[in-house]
Amino acid sequence: MAAAAAASGPQQLSDEELFSQLRRYGLSPGPVTESTRPVYLKKLKKLREEEQQQHRSGGRGSKTRNSNNNNTAAAAVAAAGPAAAAVGMGVRPVSGDLSYLRTPGGLGRISVSGPESPLGGPGGASTAPVAGSKVLLGFSSDESDVEASPRDQAGGGGRRDRAALQYRGLKAPPAPLAASEVTNSNSAERRKPHSWWGARRPAGLELQTPLKDGAAEDEEEEGEDGEERDPEAEEPLWASRAVNGSRLLPYSCRENYSDSEEEEDDDVAPTRQVLKDDSLSRHRPRRSHSKSLSPLTAKSAGSRLETSVQGGGGLAMNDRAAAAGSLDRSRNLEEAAAELGGGCDQVDCSPIPRYRVSAKKLAPLLPPPLPDMDSTLDSSTGSLLKTNNHIGGGAFNVDSPRIYSNSLPPSPAVATPASLRINHANHTGANHTYLKNAYSKPKLSEPEEELLQQFKREEVSPTGSFSAHYLSMFLLTAACLFFLILGLTYLGMRGTGISEDGGLIKNPFDETFGKIQESEKNLMMSTLYRLHDRLAQLAGDHECGSSSQRTLSVQEAAAYLKDLGPEYEHIFNTSLQWILENGKDVGIRCVGYSPEEELKNITDVQFLQSTRPQMSFWCRFRRAFITVTHRLLLLCLGVVMVCVVLRYMKYRWTKEEEESRQMYDMVVKIIDVLRSHNEACQENKDLQPYMPIPHVRDSLIQPHDRKKMKKVWDRAVDFLAANESRVRTETRRIGGADFLVWRWIQPSASCDKILVIPSKVWQGQAFHLDRRNSPPNSLTPCLKIRNMFDPVMEIGDQWHLAIQEAILEKCSDNDGIVHIAVDKNSREGCVYVKCLSPEYAGKAFKALHGSWFDGKLVTVKYLRLDRYHHRFPQALTCNTPLKPSNKHMNSMSHLRLRTGLANSQGGS
Amino acid sequence: VSLCQKGREIGRAYGGKPVGSLAGIGEVLGKKLEERGFDKAYVVLGQFLVLKKDEDLFWEWLKDTCGANAKQSRDCFGCPQEWCDAFL
Repeated sequence: MAAAAAASGPQQLSDEELFSQLRRYGLSPGPVTESTRPVYLKKLKKLREEEQQQHRSGGRGSKTRNSNNNNTAAAAVAAAGPAAAAVGMGVRPVSGDLSYLRTPGGLGRISVSGPESPLGGPGGASTAPVAGSKVLLGFSSDESDVEASPRDQAGGGGRRDRAALQYRGLKAPPAPLAASEVTNSNSAERRKPHSWWGARRPAGLELQTPLKDGAAEDEEEEGEDGEERDPEAEEPLWASRAVNGSRLLPYSCRENYSDSEEEEDDDVAPTRQVLKDDSLSRHRPRRSHSKSLSPLTAKSAGSRLETSVQGGGGLAMNDRAAAAGSLDRSRNLEEAAAELGGGCDQVDCSPIPRYRVSAKKLAPLLPPPLPDMDSTLDSSTGSLLKTNNHIGGGAFNVDSPRIYSNSLPPSPAVATPASLRINHANHTGANHTYLKNAYSKPKLSEPEEELLQQFKREEVSPTGSFSAHYLSMFLLTAACLFFLILGLTYLGMRGTGISEDGGLIKNPFDETFGKIQESEKNLMMSTLYRLHDRLAQLAGDHECGSSSQRTLSVQEAAAYLKDLGPEYEHIFNTSLQWILENGKDVGIRCVGYSPEEELKNITDVQFLQSTRPQMSFWCRFRRAFITVTHRLLLLCLGVVMVCVVLRYMKYRWTKEEEESRQMYDMVVKIIDVLRSHNEACQENKDLQPYMPIPHVRDSLIQPHDRKKMKKVWDRAVDFLAANESRVRTETRRIGGADFLVWRWIQPSASCDKILVIPSKVWQGQAFHLDRRNSPPNSLTPCLKIRNMFDPVMEIGDQWHLAIQEAILEKCSDNDGIVHIAVDKNSREGCVYVKCLSPEYAGKAFKALHGSWFDGKLVTVKYLRLDRYHHRFPQALTCNTPLKPSNKHMNSMSHLRLRTGLANSQGGS
Repeated sequence: VSLCQKGREIGRAYGGKPVGSLAGIGEVLGKKLEERGFDKAYVVLGQFLVLKKDEDLFWEWLKDTCGANAKQSRDCFGCPQEWCDAFL
């Protein structure tokens, strides 16, 4: 074939020929330079192979495989291939189904290859967007995204890889497959893809061993699955597969802009899960081998690697096959067979098992003879079958043996494998689903984990502080009570000094009683005791207020003692003498006529007084209580005073700050006015170069503010007079009256032309919002807007209001915003917005995402509603739309100037 | 810090940064690219533009030049793409 011949010698093409060849295929290539040449060569090869395939298949009409649509085309083709194969197998798909199936492939193609690639609609099915959007899961983005979704991995076993693999230029193989897919009638056609896949895989595998990408692998596996499956089974498979391709892109995008993605995982996960499971189960019947392998491998950490290897293998095979033609294919098959015979490795660890699996699939897949590869394929099939047997006994994963043994058909009859496979599906489906679930579930929670942690920080503090608050209060109360009781007890103790008295008295007795006779000692002791008691009682009564007399006169004391007993009378004077001589406090004090009088001898003593009043318990308690209360009150009063003073000082300080700020604002305004006036004077020589001060004031301050701002204005004037060197205050006579005027004296040819850097204004949109970088529909009514400010750079207290204003102004046409919260402490400059409904949120998203604000690129994500409420409980009750506070639209000034459209924001 | 992570560094000096600072390009790949003459990030950007911003071709080229895998290529592709979205 001309194409084949041409394909055999691409190296001889010159740049111009290469260029023209590419143009022939409808491609619009860039310059062919030494760095782009190999890339374009490859592309040309693929295109040629595609062409060949199409020719061979008789131009089934599915030839639309546009060279530009590598990604999904490959997927689609792969899907189509399997579908076709399945049909051939005897599942009896309808051709219409195939094209229907192809739709997801096409869809995937569209999404994957991007809008710029023209889509060659396969066989008339072009409902790509619809189908795709349903299952658009998008990329798992890079590792920084939490959502590196297990789903993708699990479900797609690296669909991403698959898609990527598609990039690899899985064009040729898909093309033929697609071609074959399209046609149901030709079982040979169908078979071709199968064999092709198998051939490709073996060839690819060994060629692509170094490759670590996984796309092709999954793709191929999927393709194989598709080949064997029925159309409707194919469809979800396709959808998922194609989605994978497309999934990769949108998913990552979603990762980027959707927190709810992570949270939505909860919602979406089940669907995805279901989808995957369905696909899996479907796959299983189709291609149990690879299917089991792919999810399992997906589960393993290196799933991508594996899939990629396989995929890579597949791709390589494709390439090879495409390039080499049938010869290669057969060779590949044999190689594949050889590989298979090489022994079983663990599926998860090496591509070979997968490869084998594919090969195995091939074996059952291989239906009646293929047009040009029949012979080779048959032989390969035979060998493959043998290897299948061999492998079946190998140490594959759990499912494999079952699958293999089942799948090992005694004859290459199509029906048998298909039926067997279906049986397998029953077995393995459950396993896969289960495993998949097990695998996905923990991963699913990861994205949630991240978001949980996001809010956990804020959560913890409120609840923690709540209990902490109570705890502190409790501790404080306990301490107060403790001290109160202590004080009371102490005070109560002071009244009871009897035992001590006894002790105390005893000591003096020992010392100074030496001179006194023994007989009198006891008498004295008892006398003193009696006296002491009497005096204490008296004092206690006096203290407690029940009696007005505190002291006992000597005479009364003597009389009292006499009452007690006649013997006390004599001893009275001795006792007094002793008390006087004894300098220590024995509980009785002798007092003369006046308190300060020095007592020389007993004749001076007139009164006796107790130093230790004895009071009743109740009296003591009462006194103590009153004392404590008084003291506490004094203390509280003192604390309150201090607080008041502090508050006042703070208030004054703030007020001063505010006034200063106003003053400086005013000064700045005045300078601006003067400067602009000066500039106007430069141009227009008719104007006076000075401005009267009152005129300036009246032009800057509104009439109703003038009285309020008088103080500020005066300060500003003084400031200008004292600190501004560019302005001179003069007195001029204007219109017959003397005015104080300001003259701007700085020559204008100076650096005054400072670029006014726009601050807090919207500056346009960085990119158009399309499906790739925004979610297809609004997911929740809550948004998280990032990069609106830099908390380090912001000064003052009111800047967050400016941010809120800016957001409201940007979304002024959207009256569905009910709550805005600026997170002043976030490093990323986050603002949280809640809208009335997801539609409003979508509108706001379109208006905000990707816009430049204050020199920063703003990004928006969706947040889950319950999380938002958790963080901002006050938003639960907000349902009145917020509006900008004034009509000036300051933040939109640049946009207005630039585009002339104040509010209409582009976007999808 | 690699360029163009999550679009935050869009517009940062693509200029003199070495090619190893592109997302997805580590030391090994960066070295290989440098050997081929793509020593600065903007040269890769240039290649991307020469390939008419086609992701597949860019990926092919990257694979051929330095053996990047799909993920690396995708990461690397994201940078110039976002840059172009922002500035072209």
